[in-house]
Amino acid sequence: MSSSQKVVVTCRVNGEDHTVLADPRDTLLELLRDRLEMTGTKEGCGNGNCGSCTVLADGVAVCACLVLAGETDGLEITTVEGLTANGTRHPVQQALIEHGGTQCGFCTPGIIMSAVALLNEKSKPTDAEIRHAIAGNICRCTGYEKIVRAISSAAETSATARAEV
Amino acid sequence: MNDPGQIDWSQKNSVVGKPLPRVDAGERVEGTAKYPADMALPGMLHAKTLRSPHAHAKIKSIDTMKAAALAGVKAIVTSGDFHDVPVGATIPMGEAGYDMWMVSVINIARDKVFWVGQPVAVVAATDPHIAEAALALIDVEYEALPAVMSIDAAMAPGAPAIHKHVITTGLEPPAQVPSNVCSRSVIERGNADDAISSAAASAAIDTTIDTGHQGYIEPQAMLAQVDSNGFAMVWAATQGQHTTELMISRMLDRPQSRIKVVPVEIGGGFGGKISIHGEAACVLLSEMTGRPVKMVMSREEVFQGGSGPPAAARHRIEVAAEADGTLTAIKGLYRQDCGGLPGLPPSLMMQASAALYQAPNLHLEGYDVVTNKPRTEAYRGPGGIQAYFAMEQAMDSLCQKLDMDPVEFRKKNAAVTGSTMPIGTPFPSIGLTTILDAVSKHDCWTSPLGEGAFPRGRGFGLGYWRGTSMTSACHISISGDGRPMVTMGSADISGTRTTMAQVAAEQFELSIDDVLVTMGDTKSVGYSDGAAGSRLARTMAAAIVEASDKALAELRTRAGRLLQTEPQTLTYERGVFRAPGAAQGGASISLAEIMQATLTDGAILETGVSTKLPLGVEVAAHVADVEVDTDTGQVTVLRYTAFQDVGRALNPTAVEGQIEGSVVQGLGWALTESFDYGDDGRLRNASMLDFRMPTALDVPPVEAVIIETPVPDVPYGLRGVGEVPIVPVGGCVANAVARAIGARVPQMPMTPERVLKAVKGR
Repeated sequence: MSSSQKVVVTCRVNGEDHTVLADPRDTLLELLRDRLEMTGTKEGCGNGNCGSCTVLADGVAVCACLVLAGETDGLEITTVEGLTANGTRHPVQQALIEHGGTQCGFCTPGIIMSAVALLNEKSKPTDAEIRHAIAGNICRCTGYEKIVRAISSAAETSATARAEV
Repeated sequence: MNDPGQIDWSQKNSVVGKPLPRVDAGERVEGTAKYPADMALPGMLHAKTLRSPHAHAKIKSIDTMKAAALAGVKAIVTSGDFHDVPVGATIPMGEAGYDMWMVSVINIARDKVFWVGQPVAVVAATDPHIAEAALALIDVEYEALPAVMSIDAAMAPGAPAIHKHVITTGLEPPAQVPSNVCSRSVIERGNADDAISSAAASAAIDTTIDTGHQGYIEPQAMLAQVDSNGFAMVWAATQGQHTTELMISRMLDRPQSRIKVVPVEIGGGFGGKISIHGEAACVLLSEMTGRPVKMVMSREEVFQGGSGPPAAARHRIEVAAEADGTLTAIKGLYRQDCGGLPGLPPSLMMQASAALYQAPNLHLEGYDVVTNKPRTEAYRGPGGIQAYFAMEQAMDSLCQKLDMDPVEFRKKNAAVTGSTMPIGTPFPSIGLTTILDAVSKHDCWTSPLGEGAFPRGRGFGLGYWRGTSMTSACHISISGDGRPMVTMGSADISGTRTTMAQVAAEQFELSIDDVLVTMGDTKSVGYSDGAAGSRLARTMAAAIVEASDKALAELRTRAGRLLQTEPQTLTYERGVFRAPGAAQGGASISLAEIMQATLTDGAILETGVSTKLPLGVEVAAHVADVEVDTDTGQVTVLRYTAFQDVGRALNPTAVEGQIEGSVVQGLGWALTESFDYGDDGRLRNASMLDFRMPTALDVPPVEAVIIETPVPDVPYGLRGVGEVPIVPVGGCVANAVARAIGARVPQMPMTPERVLKAVKGR
């Protein structure tokens, strides 16, 4: 294949449609970071082991490094940049701040997306369910406990918010 | 406020000691925090590194013609493009300096390769895919040499000597011929052999510890841009911006006045991001092309020789006691595998391993050995977890033989303030006995272990780390609205901006939101050592106290002038200077009013430099409950409690975060993390799936118990925090396993296979 050959990729990210020229070898992660300049999604391993690049594809948590850019047409992609609406953070984001659940911060966007996928499915997860949901996200700084506490607290906050509506 | 050690900090405790959220947490959770890999500049090129496929070989020739001809390739560098740094060259760091020859060899191989993954050439191209494709077009002719892959092989008589210039130091008579043993260190007191042979009880263990890894989630990444005047800007995820600048300068023989290093967010370091790993190559490539150059390592590169893992080791410890449990001797033989280049002599690690015990007879003998593995680098209390894996198992075996409670045994033999350290000097302030008292009263030690499907055990282990102080600098300017702005000369790898904002806010009696702390680049703030050795929060706090005092003194002078009052008669509280009788309607003036009136009279710009601050030695005691599946060898950690004396917790959430994270890293190495090198020197598990770091499902909640025994003559009495909580983990878990199955597992990690072998061999 010619190294300069590009392909047109269409995708929908955080509610916006994009049409970009990409390398046919690009993954969704490269599409997001290099072509769309959305660098909130991180690369820690490039082969689906660490979970730092977790995004939602039609609501399902996936590793963006394992999806080819060319496969994303028709999928609704949500990244960490899509969670903060009108200056209001998602409860998971806010809880991580308050519970000391982010240290170096590199795994944080991926953890957040896994947690959001969980809370979308289950409004009151147990600690075991939370640990299972983020088991694909490796964190090397926190030891996980403050992250688990944060996600659990975010679930309660979300439940309270729903009850008030 | 000239003597910070004398201040009664309890009287003003509005910000320091509070569990405040990180000041930089918002950008982390929103994904806007910028790490080097996230940065881009117009016209930017992408660099990729060609790495050695051989563990030991001569480089006979390198032909880059075909690669250079590939469309999109803009420049290629090999060793000939770099300054030839001589053996023995160092840059300033701590007491001994940092080996600059080693740094150069880590960054580019010259004539020989010493491990698989050592850089041989670096390509810059318009696209990372093109740079990657170009690597395959570079022809390197190697002459393979015999590789030495273990401590035993390296120390065997007749082993091929990897380096011609390495001649063992510390031998009597002095060694004459090259060897793979870099140094021999001995610490001796009394006669350990006699004491052991005449003791009522003794115990020994021979341990083998595999190579691990720091496991930072962010692979090394960097960006360089050289302008048309030859001025190089480097954005780096580094533990020390000034160290990075020194290293680039020496590798390229380039004046430091032509380099600026900007520290950006770092995705974990733990000791592995002190050295540069490509920054100098990116500067060269940018200079050659006139375009910015970014390098982002892949995970495989990080593991397969592109970064420095911590040392593998073989340690043998033998200990002896009288019948009443009085320790009489510690004898240790320490061998550490420093990888492809000479490491630090093991004496600091040896001293640390025996430091918490008062033993009249000592014989500690250590060797550091080169092998054809990646050159090792620091990892959280370098060498500590390995040494304590051996020491604490030996001590626990001795307790079993004496039928003595492990905590009571430590109380009987604990080092105390003023007792003699292994190096022969008196111990500085140490809170070990306070910690031991806390353990023996805590539920984690007193509660029953409970029944499980498989055998359970409770283990105890200590850890010690000396830490360091070195030098830290900051400056503080007062902005036009009266708010203090702090610029640090060091990088923030663990939340330092937050804890230092707490210190600055405390000094000025302001809210944390009214101060700003930033990491300065190397051209905007004076020399500081890197964030390493558990030194930064302690020493930077001292620098901030000094600079704050100076700034407040100048503000007081200006306030006196504006209020037409003698400055020394003013009182200062929460951002306001008051003249005598202010409460009765007398004059007062705020920092904002002072700066509004005097900003154009001249900047307030004050510096603080901390050097040779007293050490804040770190002590930790851990308790672990485990259950061992005797059919599979799987170890499950049920409960983990970590006690640590931190002097004073600037921010309890941050301290807990350091302890909890450290323990989980330690559990990883204790149970699953191991680099598996083949005889050909190739790492066979260079991925995060196969190098098995703990997930949230693998570890219990870790309870951190913070104890505060302040260090005299140190602002806020701070001790180092970040390193020691990994030190006891291997030994503590091993002791729990041994008490569960009734047999010792002398290898780390204690994989199911090894545990099962110990179960079967009972």
